[in-house]
Amino acid sequence: MAKKTRIKAKEKKGITTVKAMANHAMLSYDEAKRKNVEANFITSMIAKVDGEIVYEVSTSQFLSKNPFVQFKFKGSNKGKMLAFTWTDKKGNTKTDKKKIK
Amino acid sequence: MNRRKFLGLGLGLGAVAVMLPSTLSAVNFRETNKGAFEGPKSHTVDDAMTQLFGTSKTTASNVKLKAPDIAENGAVVPLHISSKLAGKTVAIFQDSNPESLVAVFTVPANGLIDYKVRIKLAKTGTVTAVVQDGKTLYSASKMVKVTAGGCGG
Repeated sequence: MAKKTRIKAKEKKGITTVKAMANHAMLSYDEAKRKNVEANFITSMIAKVDGEIVYEVSTSQFLSKNPFVQFKFKGSNKGKMLAFTWTDKKGNTKTDKKKIK
Repeated sequence: MNRRKFLGLGLGLGAVAVMLPSTLSAVNFRETNKGAFEGPKSHTVDDAMTQLFGTSKTTASNVKLKAPDIAENGAVVPLHISSKLAGKTVAIFQDSNPESLVAVFTVPANGLIDYKVRIKLAKTGTVTAVVQDGKTLYSASKMVKVTAGGCGG
């Protein structure tokens, strides 16, 4: 069900900017009730470089469908792999990797 | 113990050792602060903030919140939160959806408070971003007018 998370990661002057768009329906309780399906939404997103957490968020049902996030962090990370993981309410997780340019 | 078994054991141990730090370091606010996300105390901004931070008293400074004045589509409201504070926790609240807490960011050691995120708003409401720096809460609020609801349709 889950398509790949689209990630762009770029370092400039020691600051890495990451844009990520997870593919998820993000059905809130109200929306799910109307469609007669179970609510399901991403509850946490974590990004790591070399096993070190660089981004972490606990989210609720009110993020938009296919949530887009942008975040920044310091350090020289050019060429390293960024791993972006999300977990939803049903326990599904998806990790995608992208090299930092 | 023969060699095959020994190797298998080593691999198993290695896997456990790799798994542990990642699960330990992550803070899941949904589990530690469930009341702030769902339940009777999650409907108003003040209640949810008290659940999360222990107080709802904030200082309205040092935080920048960018949001549109008028959102034509409440299903996609882009927010941009930034701050120069060395806070460890950032939270987003709004008062137009059934529950008021949207997201809680944990700022890692190398992280900068510069987050963009897109949220849903059921109707016109006020979005509040809170940064916790030590024991003080800094906030910024912005009224967003929604012409077509995102959660209510």
